[in-house]
Amino acid sequence: MTSMPVSDAVLRRLNTLQLALAGIIIMAPVAWMVLSSFKPSFEVTAYPPSLIFSPTAENYGELIKTTPFFSYAVNSLIVTVGSAGIGLIFGIPAAFAVSWTRISWPAILTLAARMAPGTLFLLPWYVMFRQVGLIGSYTALILSHAVITLPIVIWVLLPSFDNIPRSVFEAAQVDGCSVTRILWRIALPLVGSGVAVAAILAFVFSWNYFLFALVLSNGDTKTLIAAAFNFVGEGSTQWGVLMAAATLIALPPLVLATLVQRWLVAGLTLGAVKG
Amino acid sequence: MVALETAVIREGETSGQNQQRLELAALSAPAVLFTIGMIAFPVVYTVWLSFQSFSSTGKQSFVAFGNYAKLISDNEFWHGLWVTLALYLLSLLLQLVLGVWLALALFQAERLSGIVRSLFISPFMMPPVVAGMMWLVILDPSLGAANYILTSIGLPSSDWLASPTWVIPTIALIDTWQWAPYVALIVLGGLQSLPPSVYEAAQIDGASPFKTLQRITLPLLLPTIVTATILRSVDLLRFFDIIYITTQGGPGNASNTLNIYGFRAGFEFFNIGYASALMLTLTTIVFGAVLAFNRLRGAVAW
Repeated sequence: MTSMPVSDAVLRRLNTLQLALAGIIIMAPVAWMVLSSFKPSFEVTAYPPSLIFSPTAENYGELIKTTPFFSYAVNSLIVTVGSAGIGLIFGIPAAFAVSWTRISWPAILTLAARMAPGTLFLLPWYVMFRQVGLIGSYTALILSHAVITLPIVIWVLLPSFDNIPRSVFEAAQVDGCSVTRILWRIALPLVGSGVAVAAILAFVFSWNYFLFALVLSNGDTKTLIAAAFNFVGEGSTQWGVLMAAATLIALPPLVLATLVQRWLVAGLTLGAVKG
Repeated sequence: MVALETAVIREGETSGQNQQRLELAALSAPAVLFTIGMIAFPVVYTVWLSFQSFSSTGKQSFVAFGNYAKLISDNEFWHGLWVTLALYLLSLLLQLVLGVWLALALFQAERLSGIVRSLFISPFMMPPVVAGMMWLVILDPSLGAANYILTSIGLPSSDWLASPTWVIPTIALIDTWQWAPYVALIVLGGLQSLPPSVYEAAQIDGASPFKTLQRITLPLLLPTIVTATILRSVDLLRFFDIIYITTQGGPGNASNTLNIYGFRAGFEFFNIGYASALMLTLTTIVFGAVLAFNRLRGAVAW
């Protein structure tokens, strides 16, 4: 019986050990990507791979000099902010109405969009957008990416609105507040953190989305993620430049996600799990 | 008079309610119209497209169920279905096992610091395309770090993504690296919501930790695990990004999932009709899986 606390401590230490191991497995590839982006070009493909080297920013310089990286980044930003904006402007009132009326089919319809393979929509969009000459336009890209952001906004905000006690709304109604006024003046300020999570998740998923821009963008409107496909094709020997691109593309979503990490997982399960 | 007064009040109420109903409809109208325009109508259009054949010159002709008949006799479709299911089952199994295991470890650690949480969310918050680029370099058959580590501890090296045999397990591993932490955090949420009283009861009854896990924790966690399964199934059955950035379905056709096959049929060979039939079939499979798991979740709920 006296050995119990000892084995408890051992178990605890083993647990810390396995978590540390998991942490290393999670972080090592990312660290390798970042390290490779700072390696001189002759060292990045050295075999055996080197861990100690004199870091250089030459890969980043090369990336900016040889590719229109900056304009791709601007394209990504336009498409991401535009689609996240549509997602929020359409999604906030819709989530509120669904929460109020408990008529859930509009929310379920957008969820179906979240579950279907993107190619299912891309085929008819391609035909439709081609007919009206919108292939390669920001409009087509923003609209297509809003299909990703809208369900995220609605499903992140639904539980937040549901959590507001009904009596708050009823009191406002007695005072003669209209439903629309209740939403903007009373409900929205109460779900501020939910809106922040929705906005950031919409941004991250729109930024990360690959498939639509692959077909709907052209040379002038190509997003970073779609351009990454070309970087891989061209950069097969220039690993340093490729890893510099990868690092820069991954940076915005990672920084934003860290800001809301506490509420993020509950938001990502589309209402299935409460954090 | 009293009756009249009540009637007036009633009328006022119903017009107020109508007003409210109108306002609520107006609030959801933009989202509903957007969804009809960008999702519902295009899907109906896809059904129509799937009855069409497109010649190389872009001429369209009605072929009724011709594309679906072609699908059944197309070896590449059955191969794609097999690849899709193999990749799905392998990835799902790895992610559920590792995810539950990691969740239990995190739960034991009790306090979860912001740094640990950030660490766990970073794989699945980074673009899958970036994850693909990153692993492409690490898993390079001749110069990659992975083979260096394997050979330096005396294990045989692998061709990873360049090997027709290993490409599917390799992609499953990359996806597991990205999403097992996500499963872990969902399951951790489930663990934290379990009532502590059940553990106390088990402890009083003298149940061993293993028995507690097997008889109490895991059964109570089942609804959460099924939820994680649904969320991962949706993504895994339409697997695209990591494959397209690393192998584009290769080597040969070894990683040609249905989504990759449909995409290439549509946008590389411009066989829009056939691609539509393919994607509708895949969508039916995804929704079928979601409905089945949803029913299972109902069955294991407590």
